[in-house]
Amino acid sequence: MDAISTVNRENLIIQKDSGLSIMEKLEILSDSAKYDVACTSSGVERKGDGTGIGNTVSAGICHSFATDGRCISLLKVLFTNECIYDCKYCINRKSNDVRRTSFTPQEICDLTIEFYRRNYIEGLFLSSGIINNPNYTSELIYEALYKLRYEYRFQGYIHVKTIPGTDPVLVEKLGYLADRMSINLELPTAEGLKRLAPNKHRKTILTPMRQIQNGINNNKNELAVYNHASQFVPAGQSTQVIVGATPETDYEIINVAENLYQKFDLKRVFYSAFVKVNEDKELPALAGGPPLLREHRLYQADWLLRFYGFQAKELLSEERPNFNILLDPKCDWALRHLELFPVEINRADYQILLRIPGIGVKSAKRIIRARRSSKVEFEDLKKMGVVLKRALYFITCNGKMMYNTKIEEDYITRNLLNVKEKLPFDVNGVTYRQLSLFDDKTFTESQPVAEVVGEDEMERIQKKIIRVS
Amino acid sequence: MGTILLCEDSLEGIFTGIYKAYERKENHTECKLQAGEIENYQLFAEYVRVQREEELAKKVSRTICRDLGMEAYLCICQAIATEDKNKADAVYHTVVEGINCFKQSTISKNSSCSTFQFYGIMGNLTNPYVQKVFELSRSAGNEIMRMKEILRFRELENGILFAKIGPKCNVLSFIAPHFADRLPLENFVIYDHLRHLFVVHPAKQDWFIVTGEHFDKEITERFSEKEKEYEALFTHFCHTIAIRERKNLNLQRQMLPLRFRDYMVEF
Ligand code: SF4
Repeated sequence: MDAISTVNRENLIIQKDSGLSIMEKLEILSDSAKYDVACTSSGVERKGDGTGIGNTVSAGICHSFATDGRCISLLKVLFTNECIYDCKYCINRKSNDVRRTSFTPQEICDLTIEFYRRNYIEGLFLSSGIINNPNYTSELIYEALYKLRYEYRFQGYIHVKTIPGTDPVLVEKLGYLADRMSINLELPTAEGLKRLAPNKHRKTILTPMRQIQNGINNNKNELAVYNHASQFVPAGQSTQVIVGATPETDYEIINVAENLYQKFDLKRVFYSAFVKVNEDKELPALAGGPPLLREHRLYQADWLLRFYGFQAKELLSEERPNFNILLDPKCDWALRHLELFPVEINRADYQILLRIPGIGVKSAKRIIRARRSSKVEFEDLKKMGVVLKRALYFITCNGKMMYNTKIEEDYITRNLLNVKEKLPFDVNGVTYRQLSLFDDKTFTESQPVAEVVGEDEMERIQKKIIRVS
Repeated sequence: MGTILLCEDSLEGIFTGIYKAYERKENHTECKLQAGEIENYQLFAEYVRVQREEELAKKVSRTICRDLGMEAYLCICQAIATEDKNKADAVYHTVVEGINCFKQSTISKNSSCSTFQFYGIMGNLTNPYVQKVFELSRSAGNEIMRMKEILRFRELENGILFAKIGPKCNVLSFIAPHFADRLPLENFVIYDHLRHLFVVHPAKQDWFIVTGEHFDKEITERFSEKEKEYEALFTHFCHTIAIRERKNLNLQRQMLPLRFRDYMVEF
């Protein structure tokens, strides 16, 4: 089929699992895939071409919700849970005694197509342990995706995980079959990685990340010249960082994220609260279970970086390296910058509106829209989705504050703490609607879920607004 | 004394009503449009029944698309898909406002309707009618999106994919294009059991809508052999994919209200 495929395909699949039913394989290979938090199907809009099955919707679609409240959008499975590596945090590490199995490319196709036509999923999220070596594994993955795209003419969403150490030629070929690629950074710093993932190196992670970035950029130019060129990773790349397995601070983590956004053009950085699945002296005890609040604060901050024009150094510093447990990062920032408030709703520009607690991207956009035809009053704000009980300390409408409130840190802090923050988890759980959505909800609670737009759409709208205002 | 135009509760009915309202050349503030039957009879109002006319409805829809733009048109269509009692009047006055703004904006660039030039009529959220249409279209939009998420096809013995839904508003014509685009080679049927409406999509052909309460229910309950297997596989997948340490049933319920679960094979 192609030059790289030198392995004999008949013998690819390990024989020892031949007794397992498809149900058992699915159980094993989805169970070990679940710690990867990215389940979004967003970032690319593509109509079907009428010859096969599937399309994609740029905002993504969540088809179901699991008992942990997380969205189910893709068939998220490993190709195999065999692995030659021994990452200490991973259930599939070589030294663990677990049932091992692999799918065949045909089985992957059958499950994807049959789930898709019943509207269970938006597509496939294929990750894998490493069997024999990285190239060998990636070829199997390539074969499954090739079959899906060309034999079944599947045009739904495919997210594929890059195996560190894979030949760049193969990475490129995968990139033309996938909508999104990701390679997990795993731990925020190189030291952390060395300690917990002794077989992985920062370099083998960043090199393919850079390659994919360049591939996407070159492809954009090609597409501009020849509009028939095929698309390379059109939904962009993402990565995942495990939070709480190593001692990095929030400040270090958001700096890493900011770097990845700026230098590698990543679409998303996902944060995954560490779940302890192995006993290992290198791993922390985590008495309170996975650090969900911390993970939540990181997502809020991430959102501020990507859509609200904040920089990491505005949110935290060496001296204050971790987020406030009681207040979300935006309220926390505003309280430290009271000299900038109150802000006049009828005059402030878009970027300033975005910095007001209780005002999200959508409500800021609506304010700008509405005030072109008439003055905006407090009662209008509510209808536009502004969370007044949070915003009221920071704004005026036509020169007046809503109540006679003081602009004073202790006073506002006390009042804000009385407004119970709606956290997406209670005692022991977190939830995600496609994550891009859930963050917006946190900032402007009254947003109806369906109103939420995809990442690209959001950027488009923002650009439009910035031009207008 | 005002006039109340009574029209059929459908896109064509309401658009015909708007046409007739314009034809009467009355002051629009004196005129109301009501879809469906009279709810509270108003003593001092003149009631006029409007028969739906395809041609007139088409004219109105063309005008809306041209002068108010496609975004507004979509909002209006979605608002009409809801079951709200005052939707027709909100749509009517939104169209009036939109056409006024359109006219003004062509005369003077600095009119009070400057929002219109940037965002169209739907940006005018301080107008109560526009706001109402906006809210209705938002709630219909939610339901449309929900149906794209939770609709489940089941393969019948004869190979047809069949889905039953019970949405809050009439979403069929909004979701049909989505599924027709994804599943061009499938024969599928989507059944709205609350309104007795069907979308029928024969493989490689256009979809269409059929009404009727009487159909062979039994056929739709005879599934193919593979059907049960895939339902079991997906149900199992939904269980194994959850992280036990993060279990949170409240949140699951918040994200996926119980009313949808009857239609989902995995629950
Ligand atoms: S490479 Fe490491 S993280 Fe990936 S499956 Fe193997 S042990 Fe797990």
